[in-house]
Formats: sequence, C-alpha cells, structure tokens
Amino acid sequence: MTDRLHKPGAPRRCVRLSAALAAICFSAAAGAIEYQVHGYAAQGFVLSSDNDFFGDSTEGSFDYYEAGINAAVQLGPQLLFSAQGAVRDAGISDDGTVRIDYALADYRLVADESIQAGLRAGKVKNALGFYNETRDVVFTRPSILLPTVYSDNQNQRSLIFTSPGAQMYAGLVTGAHEWSFTGTLNAERDVRKSDERLLVMLSAPFDLRIGDSWNVQLMDSIDGGRWQLAYSHFSGQFRLKTAPEISLAGRFDVDLDVFSARYNAERFTVTAEYVVIGNEILLTFGGIPVVRTDVRADSGYLQAEYRVDPRWSVMARMDSFYRDRNDRNGRRFAAANPGADRRSQVSHDFTVGINWRPDEHWGVWAEHHWINGTATLQSLENPPPVREQRWRMFMLMAGYKF
Amino acid sequence: MRFNLTTSFSWRRWLAVLLLSVSVAASPQDKTFAADVIVSPSLSEIALDRSLLRAVFTMRVREWPDGTPVRVFVLPDDNPLSDVFYRERLGMYSYVLRRAWDRMVFTGTGLAPTVVGSEKEMIERVRSTPGAIGFVRKRESSESRYERPRTLLVMLTKGQ
Repeated sequence: MTDRLHKPGAPRRCVRLSAALAAICFSAAAGAIEYQVHGYAAQGFVLSSDNDFFGDSTEGSFDYYEAGINAAVQLGPQLLFSAQGAVRDAGISDDGTVRIDYALADYRLVADESIQAGLRAGKVKNALGFYNETRDVVFTRPSILLPTVYSDNQNQRSLIFTSPGAQMYAGLVTGAHEWSFTGTLNAERDVRKSDERLLVMLSAPFDLRIGDSWNVQLMDSIDGGRWQLAYSHFSGQFRLKTAPEISLAGRFDVDLDVFSARYNAERFTVTAEYVVIGNEILLTFGGIPVVRTDVRADSGYLQAEYRVDPRWSVMARMDSFYRDRNDRNGRRFAAANPGADRRSQVSHDFTVGINWRPDEHWGVWAEHHWINGTATLQSLENPPPVREQRWRMFMLMAGYKF
Repeated sequence: MRFNLTTSFSWRRWLAVLLLSVSVAASPQDKTFAADVIVSPSLSEIALDRSLLRAVFTMRVREWPDGTPVRVFVLPDDNPLSDVFYRERLGMYSYVLRRAWDRMVFTGTGLAPTVVGSEKEMIERVRSTPGAIGFVRKRESSESRYERPRTLLVMLTKGQ
C-alpha cells in the first residue's frame, strides 16, 4: 500500500535504511528494551492581599498551572533516551507555551553496585540545590511555591532551569556515604521573548541570549538518605544586543553558590538551603562602559515537614531573600533612589502548608504565606509604587501524576 | 469522650481498628510482620546484601552481574508492606525512595520501578519476568520453619 503511494527514490531508501538501522539496534538489545510514559498536571489558585502574584491574585487568580508528559526508552543497560514536553503558566512570569523540558540520550559508562558514571547529551536539567531539576512538578516540591532560593517568581529560572548541553554524572558508595556528582556544560541559547521583558526593560528593540554556562553539584547522601548534604555552583551570563544605530550592549554575569542540607526522619524532614547570587552588570554604549555594578544577593530558608500519616503532611518554613547582602535593611538603596521603599529589596516569608495525597496519583496542597517585603514581586504585575510591603497570600493546588 | 464497648460488634470493630493501626505502625521490631525479597529463578545465586539492594531499588544499577537487565517491582507507597520492606531491608524510608524515583522520572535520567497492585500480582510478575526483583510479606510458616532465614526466599519456577 505504502509503496504504491510513494515514488521510488531517496525518501524510500531513507525509510528502508532507518528501518534497517532500527532493526539492528532493536535486535541487539532484544529483550532489554523497556519504556515508560509518565506525566503530571496541576492547577493552582492564588488569593493575596494588596499585591499581585501569579496573575491578578488580589481578585483570586487561576493563572497558575503546570503540566507535562514524558517518555523514556531504555535500550539495554547502557543507553537511555528520554524527553518531556511541558507547559507552565504563572502570571506574568510564565506564559503557558509548550516547550521541550528535556530531550536527552544517557550513556552509562560504569554501572557497578558501588560506582556508576555516565554521560548525557541533549537538553538536560541542571542540578542546583534539592529542587531545581523538577521544580515544575508540584509532587516533587515541599510546597506549592518554592522558597526564594529558587527565584520562582523572578527571572533567573530561564537561566538555570534546563538547557542544551552535555552532562557528566557519577556516583560512588563508600561505607554509609553515597556520593553523587553532576557536571554540566550548557551551550549558548536564546531567551524567549516572554522572558526577555522580565529581564530587561528597554524601549528600543533588543535581543537577549544566554552565553555559555556551566554548573556542578556534589551531594553526599548518608545512611540511606537520612542526611543529605549538597553543594551546587552555577555560572552563566546574559548578553544583550541592540541594533547598531543604538549601539547599546550589556553583559550580566550570574554566579550561584547553593549550600543544601536535609535531615530525613521517619515522620519529619528538616531542610535548609542557602544561596549567594553574584550579579555583575556591565553596560556599554558605543563600546564605552557606562554602567558597571557588582551586587551580591542572598537567600536562605529553614523548613520542617511532618508526615501525620501516609496521606497527610504539614509543613512550615521561614524564608528570607535580600537583593543586596551588603545592604540588608535597604537603607543604602533608598538613599540612592529617592522615593523608593527600602523594603522592595527584601522579602521575609513565613509559610505554613498542608498536603493531602489520597492515593499515588492525586495530590492537593494548601498553604498560607505571611510576607514582609516586596522583593519577590514582578514589577510588570505590580507597577510602582508598590501597594503594600506587608502582605499575605493563600495558595491552593490540585494535581495528578501517573 | 466515652466509648461503648458493651456489644460484641463493638469489640470486633475495635479489634479491627487495633490490628489496622498495628499494621500501619509496623516497625522493624515487629516479628509478626516482615518482608521477604523475591527474585527471578535465574538470580537465585546472587547474594543480596543491603548495599546491593539499595543500589537496585534506587535504580542505580541497571543490570545483574550476569548481564540480565534489572526489573524492579514494588507495591504502592501507602501499602504497609512497602514501608516495612524499605526500612528492614534497605534501611530507607519509602518517601525518600519515592523522591529519588520521581527525580529520575521527571528529569529523564532513569526508569522508575513498576508498581503492582497486590502481592499476588507481584509474585506473578516477578515469576514471569527475567531479572525481576520484588518483595512479599514473609509467611508465618516460613518464620517458624526457617527461623528467619538469612538467605533469600527464592521462588523456584522451573517451568519458566
């Protein structure tokens, strides 16, 4: 049937060649091929006082959802292919367009009981702290909203989340310690238009790209995961270009150092993470430097989770973020920017939450935030002047995974 | 708060609740509630110590020493037997394992174990799948007959 519909020629030879290659590949791995398909979907609701977060939340916002579907095929013990398509909407900070979350080939070089190592290539997830890699899957988060270490409503998620590149991973067991290492080299890539407007406010047309970046993570999981300690580093840069007649260019270097610690007991888990973010900005006009700043932000949290029973759990978290760790009360910023509120430079968030998992597929989350400071707000969603520095937020989310 | 325990019906109900809570709160000290590893017949010679079991159930190894692909079967996380097995044999909590599996599944870096609905299905799947490993409730008879055997309870399925 198919043959009659196709004229003889290159395309058909191509199909035959592919079929032959596939047959060789599949027969070589006969009996060892295994595949899985998984997915997730969750809808959120945000209700806040005074300020808007993830949409028009002072009126109640449903402008917050996430969904994805993935497939993984294992061709023998060495080779694994996987890809995930995802959508996410989060007010102004994400727009619900479909994207490839990851698409990679994983080749295992060493696969022993006590030592493993391998390579991945394609679009890979960057290991940063405990939650970055799966940050859009609510089932893997401790709460609906991630702590500010992960900049969930800020603009660096496009830089650190996922990127084309090559990754090396290794694992080593020594006594009670399970060491794991991930190192990633990311290729240069474009920034989506919807993200550009969050990162740079410029009336002239411009293009923003992410230059070469790299990241590493070293984790020690002790005694079957009772203790988990990790250090992660990310180094990358945004490059701004405008038309030659404007001749404005910029380079924004971003370096993150994340220190993570977690204690897992039978009923409770205590987690703490701290990040220092170096933001170095260089703007040139006609090749001459006009702006040069070097500011270090930092953020940290202490979080406790308690599993009441296999279905119910509760959590509480203290979370703080400072745009400039050398100006923690924001007074220097206020002095340099007359009329600006110093508390726009900080955010202290106390959160309590509850989670119900009726079965392995469904989950419902609810949490309440008491927030002092407006550093985590999007200015496009909250045009200055900011309405209130002390505000509250209630979030609900229901999700399904398989 | 007052409880009416005067009828036999109430007693039965409270006994059921009591048994339920014992099974939910089963701890490593529970001699009446233990888990056994089961493997494919071809794997009967492999010594499965805690270190290898951890490597297998955290999906860090993908093949057995003889080259057979590892196929891991588990019961749902909220099955009390899962909890007992992970604690007794792996020295891990089920939520820590689930976190590791979810991380692999949603980063495309590995396959998760196959979840089966019941111990009966577990036995059938492990029996019929080469390289398979799973776990079942330790039978009371095996407890007394073998005095908590240190070796594996291997399913002999020569017909496969």
